[in-house]
Amino acid sequence: MTTRKRKIRIKYLFPLVMWGLLLASAGAKPGTGPAAPSEEAKNGADFKEFMDRVQAYVNLHKAIASSLPALKPTDQPEKIANHQQTLAQRIGEARRHARRGDIFSQGARKAFRRAVREEFGGPHAHGARTTIRQGEPLKTIRLRVNEPYPDGLPYTTLPPTLLLKFPKLPDQVAYRIVGRELVLLDVEANLVIDRIPDIFPETT
Amino acid sequence: MRKARIAILILSLIAFCASGDEFKFPLKAGSVKFAAIGDMGTGEAPQYQVAERMNTERQQFPFDFVIMLGDNIYGGSSGKDFEKKFELPYKALLDSSVKFYASLGNHDNPNERFYKLFHMNGANYYTFRKGNVRFFALDSNYMDAKQLAWLEKELQNSGTSDWKICFFHHPLYSSGKTHGSSIELRSLIEPLFIKYGVDVVFSGHDHVYERVKPEKGIYYFTEGSSGQLRPDGLAQTGITDRGFTDDRTFMLVEVAGDVLYFETLSRGGRIVDSGELRRPVRAPEQPSSTEQKNH
Repeated sequence: MTTRKRKIRIKYLFPLVMWGLLLASAGAKPGTGPAAPSEEAKNGADFKEFMDRVQAYVNLHKAIASSLPALKPTDQPEKIANHQQTLAQRIGEARRHARRGDIFSQGARKAFRRAVREEFGGPHAHGARTTIRQGEPLKTIRLRVNEPYPDGLPYTTLPPTLLLKFPKLPDQVAYRIVGRELVLLDVEANLVIDRIPDIFPETT
Repeated sequence: MRKARIAILILSLIAFCASGDEFKFPLKAGSVKFAAIGDMGTGEAPQYQVAERMNTERQQFPFDFVIMLGDNIYGGSSGKDFEKKFELPYKALLDSSVKFYASLGNHDNPNERFYKLFHMNGANYYTFRKGNVRFFALDSNYMDAKQLAWLEKELQNSGTSDWKICFFHHPLYSSGKTHGSSIELRSLIEPLFIKYGVDVVFSGHDHVYERVKPEKGIYYFTEGSSGQLRPDGLAQTGITDRGFTDDRTFMLVEVAGDVLYFETLSRGGRIVDSGELRRPVRAPEQPSSTEQKNH
C-alpha cells in the first residue's frame, strides 16, 4: 500500500471511528438504534407533564380564589369553613367534567408507581410502611374526583422519604394517602382533584 | 386506739410522700413560662377538666402562652367544633389573654392555620421567639423538601444564644404502643436538630405522657394525653425516663437563663413528673447520618 493510499484511508476512516466512539459514549448500542431513556429520564418527562397539569390547575384555583374575599387569619372559624366550601363548589363547577387521570396522566401514573415501588422495595421500605401504619391509615372510604375530602377524617401521614421522591407541589395542592390510593388534594378547598388507585401495597 | 395511730402514721406517710412530690418553680422575673397540651380537641369532659386544672394552676404559675402539639380539633372543622373543642374549654385562659400556638396533627384540617387564636398566621409551620427561647412549630404530617429547607434555614439563622424548642405532632422517640417512634421523620430532621443545637422537643400523637432519656443531647417529651388517653399505652422500650398513662395530663414549663424547669400534672392536680434540664454546652456537630444530604 502506498503512503498516499494510506493517507486517504485515514482521512475517511478517522471521522467514522470518532462518530462510533461518540455514539458509544452516549450509550448507543450497535444495531439497536437510539438509546432507551433511563428510568430517571422517563420519570423526569412524565413528572414534567404532571407538573404542567398541576400548574394549569393552580392557575384555575388562583383565578377562582381571587374572585372570592381573600381568606385571612380570622377568629371566626365559620368564615374559614365557608371559604373552603365556596372555593370547593366554584372549582367543582369549573371542573365539572373532570375525571380521574386528568392530572395524573398515564405517564405520570407510571412514574408515581415506579417511585412507590422503589420506596417500598428499597432501604426505606420498613420505615415507609411503619409511617403509614402509625398515621392511622384509612381503609374503607372511596374518594371521587371533585368531591371534598370528608370532614373530620384523619389524614394518613405521608412517609417523608417517599414525599422527597415526588415532584414538589405548589402550596395550593398536596399529596395524600387514602387506603391504597394516592390522592391529589386542593388543601385550601379540601377538594379531591385527582387520584391513583391501588398504588400502595396491600400490607400498608 | 392502735388502729387510729396506724391510720395517722399512714396519713403522715402519704402527706410526706406528697410533700416530697412538691415541685416549686423559681418564677424568676423575665423567665419564659408556658404550658404544653397535646391530643386534646375532643370536646369531652376530660378535656374540660384538664383545662380547668390549667386555669387553677395558672393562679400559682402565671404562664403566658400554651403550645399545642396537634389533634387540636377532632372530628370536624365547623364553627361549632371550634367552639366545643377549643373556645369553651379554654375560655378562662383565653379571657386572661393566654395565647395558644398550634401545630397540626393528623386529625386537624390544615385550614386551622387560618384560625387566628392558633397564631399560625396562615402557615403550616412557623417560628416565634419568647424571651431567650426560639420556638419552631413544624407540620409533621407533611415533611416535604420545602419545609426541610425552611427548617434548616431558620435553625441556622437562630444562632446559638437562645434555647431552641421544636414542637410538632409525631414523636421522634416514643414508647407508645399505638404509634411509637416516627423513625422516617427522625431520619430527616434529627440530623438538623443535632447540627443546629435544638435543646428540647415536644410532641403528641401517642395518647400518653412520656419523658424520654436524652437522645444525642436532646430532651424529648410526648404529651398526648391532654384530652385523649390510652391507659397502659406505654411499652417497655428502655428509652423511657418517666411515663404515665393513668390519667390525662398537661405540662408547665419555665425557662430561666440556662435552666428549663418542668412539671407535668394530671387533671386532678397530681404531679406526675417534674425536674429541671440544663442546656448542654455543645459545639454544633455535623449530622451523623448522610441521609439529609442525599435528599
